[in-house]
Order: sequence, then structure tokens, then C-alpha cells
Amino acid sequence: MARVEYDDVSKRFPTQDRAAVDHLDLDVADGEFLVLLGPSGCGKTTALRMLAGLEYPDQGDILIDGGSVVRLEPKDRDVALVFQSYALYPHMSVRNNIQYPLRIRKLSPEEQSRKVERVAELLGIRHLLPRRPAQLSGGEQQRVALARAIVREPRVFLMDEPLSNLDAKLRTHTRTELKALQKQLGVTTIFVTHDQAEAMTMGDRIAVLDAGRLQQLGSPDTVYQRPANLFVAQFIGSPPMNIIDARRDGGALVLAGDWRVETPRGVAAKDGVKVGLRPEAIQLELTPAPGAQPAEVLVSEPLGSEVIVNVTLGDALLKVRTGPEVRPDPGTRVFLRARPEGIRLFDASSGAALN
Amino acid sequence: MTTRAASRAARSTAAPRGASWVETVAAHLVFGVVVLFFLVPFLWLFTSAFDADAVAYIRLPAKPTLDNFVRIFTEHDFGRALVNSVFVAGSTMVLDVVAVSLAGYSLSRLDLRFKSWIMYAVLLLQTMPLSATMVPIYGLARALGLRNSYVGLILIHAAIELPFLIWLMKNFFDNVPRYLEEAAWLDGRSKLRALVEVVLPVARNGIGVVAGLSFLAAWAEVLMMIILIDSQDLKTVPLAFYETLRTQGGYTEVQYGLVAAMGVLYAVPVMAIFLATRRMMVRGLVASSRGL
Repeated sequence: MARVEYDDVSKRFPTQDRAAVDHLDLDVADGEFLVLLGPSGCGKTTALRMLAGLEYPDQGDILIDGGSVVRLEPKDRDVALVFQSYALYPHMSVRNNIQYPLRIRKLSPEEQSRKVERVAELLGIRHLLPRRPAQLSGGEQQRVALARAIVREPRVFLMDEPLSNLDAKLRTHTRTELKALQKQLGVTTIFVTHDQAEAMTMGDRIAVLDAGRLQQLGSPDTVYQRPANLFVAQFIGSPPMNIIDARRDGGALVLAGDWRVETPRGVAAKDGVKVGLRPEAIQLELTPAPGAQPAEVLVSEPLGSEVIVNVTLGDALLKVRTGPEVRPDPGTRVFLRARPEGIRLFDASSGAALN
Repeated sequence: MTTRAASRAARSTAAPRGASWVETVAAHLVFGVVVLFFLVPFLWLFTSAFDADAVAYIRLPAKPTLDNFVRIFTEHDFGRALVNSVFVAGSTMVLDVVAVSLAGYSLSRLDLRFKSWIMYAVLLLQTMPLSATMVPIYGLARALGLRNSYVGLILIHAAIELPFLIWLMKNFFDNVPRYLEEAAWLDGRSKLRALVEVVLPVARNGIGVVAGLSFLAAWAEVLMMIILIDSQDLKTVPLAFYETLRTQGGYTEVQYGLVAAMGVLYAVPVMAIFLATRRMMVRGLVASSRGL
């Protein structure tokens, strides 16, 4: 269990012209489950590998429990990493794979097998112990990799997209399980993923990265409801937030198709802004109502528990989330109303959130 | 060994699905000729070794006998030569495996600035004909006191094959995913022990190929042995051959039976090693060519 700090860490690979990680500052609390989220190439894996000791930062410091680790070999950092490809030793049985870190620590043989048995029990893989990695399914390999990380009780768990090689159903299941396991063990965990649903469901906090820079650090709720900039707004959420160009007209904002919405409180209305509306921040009505904006349905996408209605408004395409009973046909005229608390304003040039 | 490999190759290539009988017969004929070509010298070797009056062509011995074998051990000290050869080839193999593991792994993993230059420089060494290095190696060995010593013989034999084996092994290491050793480092192993405990076992086919090729090359090498060794105590099997041919008063009086008996004992260990490691060698060579 440990606190992890990144202090102004930068790393650039010789073959690339921009930094893989650019002045990263991050503070992960003891026992926290932190998710590093971003598109591929955003630097999240590099940030993780620097903490593991597999890459060296060009500048800055990385601390575990207040002590700098950048000069330590990976073996001396006491962190465990679950690789995307699991990295099980193919020439060892599952038992020996899990036991390997214990053997290195020269625990007594009885202690070694006791710990292996216990962690195998915890993950439900006792029956796999005599097998070889090649005889396991992807999900089973993933569990063995997890067991190998857990068995040595490291200070920090690092996970590099450990669920991305599982099929969709197993991934959802493992997500829940992994989160519960982390809470039970209470070990500080840094989890890298490009899947925003994984990040939302698992993380205590999410650090969103793009182009090597930290875009926002906050709870899943904060990151979803109050994205710090346009990148976060569009990366998180499925479907993503609607972003619409707006201009100022008195105290109100005029969006595409002359849709007038009120400027959120506490923000000075100005030109050069974009308005962000989550699909559920738009209310869709089938009958005209005062103050509601007419729009035309392009297509409805039923998802079972909800329907995503795509509407055209001027030259903008908006996605609106409605209940399963509302399923307007293409070409239908519908009426939109923005929920005032759901209106987000962004500076059009910098992309930064204004409220 | 050749016959088996060839006949198996014939079987697998000659009868692909849908091949006509003409093709099958033609393929078998071609392979038959190839097999015969390799088989004839062995046939001579084995018939002559058991023939007290062996001649320079193939005939069945009138009275099969072990006389030739007894004589090479009693009169020509062949046991000593065998022990020397096994020791030199074995030590060369061990030295090569250690050196090639370290060099190949470094070249595979390190981000060196002039790596491709280094690799081509290594390859260039391999293109040098051995006979061209004869004079300098002789001079060097003499200056360093390495003539007539096991150490000199082992060092030079290990060095001869090193460039090629480094290339070969680098390829095997390139095919071992990096995350395996990274996992071992994070599990708490030093880089060297991660190499020994995780990378080498995964690349064991490569190690098998390197060990086999290294042993066979040192076992069969003649030139360096001739220029480096003239002590009777250190003579190896090729030198024993040479001596037997020479001391029998020239080629008109060559005692073919003795030479053939030596030949049998020279070839048998090689065959044994090949048969024992055949699967590993074949799999390893296929894997390395795939990586190239």
C-alpha cells in the first residue's frame, strides 16, 4: 500500500518529435484505484512503464511513499504489473508462474505453496495450477497474470489494459470483479485503458491524457459532468457530448438552427464559444411547446433500455437520449429543450471549459 | 541421418493432396538419387571398417572382423584422440553458447547507435575464408603461447563460428517478446537472471541449434588443428586420420580398413547428437529462418 506521485515527469522517445509524456503531475492516494485514460499514443502506457522502471523519464521525479524510485531497478521497486498480453512464462506451469516472485523472495517452500493456494482460491483458478499457460483460455491467462501480481503483495498494482484481450461479456464481468478485488485488497492501483466505460466503472478517479498531457483529473462523475475541456467532453461518454458552435445575442446564446438557450449562470456571455450538451441534457418532445426548438429526426437507434435519436438542427447533428418508448421515425418533426444545468460552455479557440 | 531426413522430406513433399502419380513417382526418383549420393560413402565406410583387407571400393567383407577397431586403439592411440576431440568440441560448445547468449541478447535488446553497422561488421567476419586467417592465427597463437594447448584450440574454434552464431541467436531473441523478461524484472529478478531463467528457456530451440552447430563445427574442423597441434598428447581425431594416412607410407599403401574404422567412430557421435536433438534443431532452424 502506498502513495504514488508523478512530479513534473516528461519523456520523449528519440524516434518521435513530440513528448510521449509531457510535464505530468499526478498524486495517487494510498489504496486508490486510479485510471489513466486516453486514446492510443496519449502516453498513458509510457507513464505506467516509467513507474514500473521499464522506461526512464527525461526529467521529473516519481515517488512511491515519498521516496524517489527513478534510479531504482524494476526489481527493487516492489510494484507488480499485469501486462496487456499477460506475459505468463510459457515454460512454467501455472503454479510455478504464480510462485516465481515468491521463490525470488526466498520464502520458505511451505509459505510459498500456502500463498499460491490462497491466491488461486481467491481467483478461482486452483484447478488450473498444474497446467501450462498455452493450455489456458484468454480469461484464464488473465486470472493467472493477476494471481502472480497479487501473490507477492506489492506496494502498487499496475495494469496495462489487462481486459482488452477478453471478449465483451467476460470483460464486463471481470471489470466488476477486479474492482471488488481491489477494494478488498486495498492496494494502490493504477489502471491504464483506452475504454472510457472501463474507466468510468472502475476508477475512484480518472486521469484523462491526450498527447502526453494531463487533460483532467477527477472522479468519474466530475469528468463526465464537468469536463475540463473539449477533448475530455468528447472522449468520455457514449455517445459523446454534443458540441455546437454558438454566438452571443444579448444574454442568450444562439446555436445552430437559431436555437436560443440561456447562458449558464456565472458565465459572461461572449462570442467564440461552443456549447456542450450531453445526449441526456436535451429533452425531446413530440408536440410543440413554448420555448422548444423544432428539429428533424434523421434516424433513431434503439439500444433496448434507451433510444438515441439523431436529429438535424441547421447544419448540426445532435444525439439525444430518450426512453425506450420514444422512437420517432426519420423525418419526424420533434421539439428540443436544453436542461439548464446540463449546458456546458467551452472557449472555441483554447477548448477550455468556461463553467 | 541423411537418409531418414531425406525420406521424410520425400514423403511430405511428394504426396501433397491432389498430386498426380507421375509427380509422386518423379519426386521419389529425384530423392532416391539424392539419397543414394549421400548413402554411398557411408556404405563404404561401414563395410570397410569391418573388413581386414578393405579396398577403395565397396564390397562386403569376406570375414567380418573387429580387427581394425582393435588396431586403431592399440597401435594408433585413437582413444586419446577421441577424448581430445570430445573435450575440445564440448568446451567450444559451452563457450560459444555462453558468449552467443550474451552477445545475441545484447544486440537484440539494446538500443545501440550503430547497431546495424555492428551487425554487418560481425557478418563481414563470417565472410572471411578460414584459410586466409591461417598465417596470422598461427603467428598470434605462437606469440601468445597458445600452440599445443587445449585453451588455444578451444578459443580459436569458438571464435570461428561466433559471428554466424551471434546472428542466428539474435534472431531467436528477437522472437522472444520483451514483456516476458520485463515481467521477470518486475517479479524481482536482475537482468542477468531474467535472461537465464526466462529468456533462454523460451529461446531453447535457438540454444539447441547454436550448441549443435558449434559442436559439429569444432568436431569437424581440420585446418586449425593441423597448424596449432603437433604434440601427440593433444592430437584430435582429424589429426589421427591425417597421421594414419601419412605413416602408412603414402597413398598406395593406405590401410583403408583403419581409416574406415576411425571414420565410423568419428561419424557415430555426430549422428547420435543429431538424432538426439534433431527435432529441436529442425524446429529451431525453421523458426530462425521465419524470423529473418
